[in-house]
Amino acid sequence: MNERQLIARVIAGDRLAGRALYDTHAPRVYSLAYRLTGDAEKAREFTQDTFIRAFSRLAQFRGDAAFSTWLHRITLTVVSNARRGEVRFAREVALDEAHSIESGAPEAEPDLKESIVRAIEDLSEVYRTTLVMHDIEGYTHAEIAEILDVPEGTCKSRLSAARAQLRHALAAFKE
Amino acid sequence: MDENRFDDVIRNLPREFKVPPEPPIDDMWRVIEHAHFDAPASRGTSTRGFSHAIPWLAAAATLLIGIAIGRYLPRNSSDVTPPPSSAIASSQTAATADTSAVADAYRYQTNRYLGQAAALLISLPAREANVRADATFANKATDLLVTTRLLIDSPAANQDPKLRSLLEDLELVLVQIARLRTERNRGDLDLIHQAVEQGDVLSRLNSAVATTLSSE
Repeated sequence: MNERQLIARVIAGDRLAGRALYDTHAPRVYSLAYRLTGDAEKAREFTQDTFIRAFSRLAQFRGDAAFSTWLHRITLTVVSNARRGEVRFAREVALDEAHSIESGAPEAEPDLKESIVRAIEDLSEVYRTTLVMHDIEGYTHAEIAEILDVPEGTCKSRLSAARAQLRHALAAFKE
Repeated sequence: MDENRFDDVIRNLPREFKVPPEPPIDDMWRVIEHAHFDAPASRGTSTRGFSHAIPWLAAAATLLIGIAIGRYLPRNSSDVTPPPSSAIASSQTAATADTSAVADAYRYQTNRYLGQAAALLISLPAREANVRADATFANKATDLLVTTRLLIDSPAANQDPKLRSLLEDLELVLVQIARLRTERNRGDLDLIHQAVEQGDVLSRLNSAVATTLSSE
């Protein structure tokens, strides 16, 4: 049974078809949600929300793009909406962390892994999403462009800018 | 950091940056399955059986609507009573007036109900309300549900397909709101708002209220 037939059966209320569609796409949706949040519980919630929204709007899926493109677009919307609500909280935490770094003993050499995580977190949302999707999750530029609904050239320039900022943030590391 | 070293960093990101654990596939599916396939509105199935599930509530609502219509009827009947001319003409006119008065009474009740439903939907929280607020909304929705079913089967809805369609859509939304009391899940409110938006329920409600007001 192909994906289009599965979708038609899910719309008709077929649970097994729903499970088959879910099994095909859930691991990648979860992985993207986890890479963007770094939190297993949030990744789980966002994956659930993605599929609940997708199934409830399945009749609106016209098949112009691949189902995975449509699904991952919903994932990014779910994650992005949730992150907006967390921005204030994150800023407060960042301030607290800055104070604790200032008051604590200076480190001889900060950990590279930790710095990479922080540098990626500090990227703007579009740069971080593009970098995570391309360099970490392995999406092609064409896929990212379609999911984010931007030209492929925009996607490439965003990735280039994201890498430049990351490199600048890691400049202190010699080897 | 030189170019080669940075290239290594980028190449190693998939193995080093927030590596996802094994996804809880079955646990997540259980939530999705329940939210999508077990929710009456998303299945698109009818909720006609709701009032039969709680017969005493249906009976009480029938009684209340009956009393309300009874109170409304005499005033309108006297308003339209024709002057006595001939016995035949008088009885025909009186029969027509009675029918018209019943329709008016149903229209009055429908209008009141539509106003209450609109108020409930407008005041519904956008998302993440607390449990106590959910219970309040759920109780109001349960009250309105019984009236909805009675109005769907009433002459007012039978004579007006648009109104009947609106009442049926409202019934599905109200069932979802009524479920908030006992089965609160993340995403429930989203689904309710989606159902309201997809069915264009609020603007149809406003239009129905305006129509019934202008016909009074």
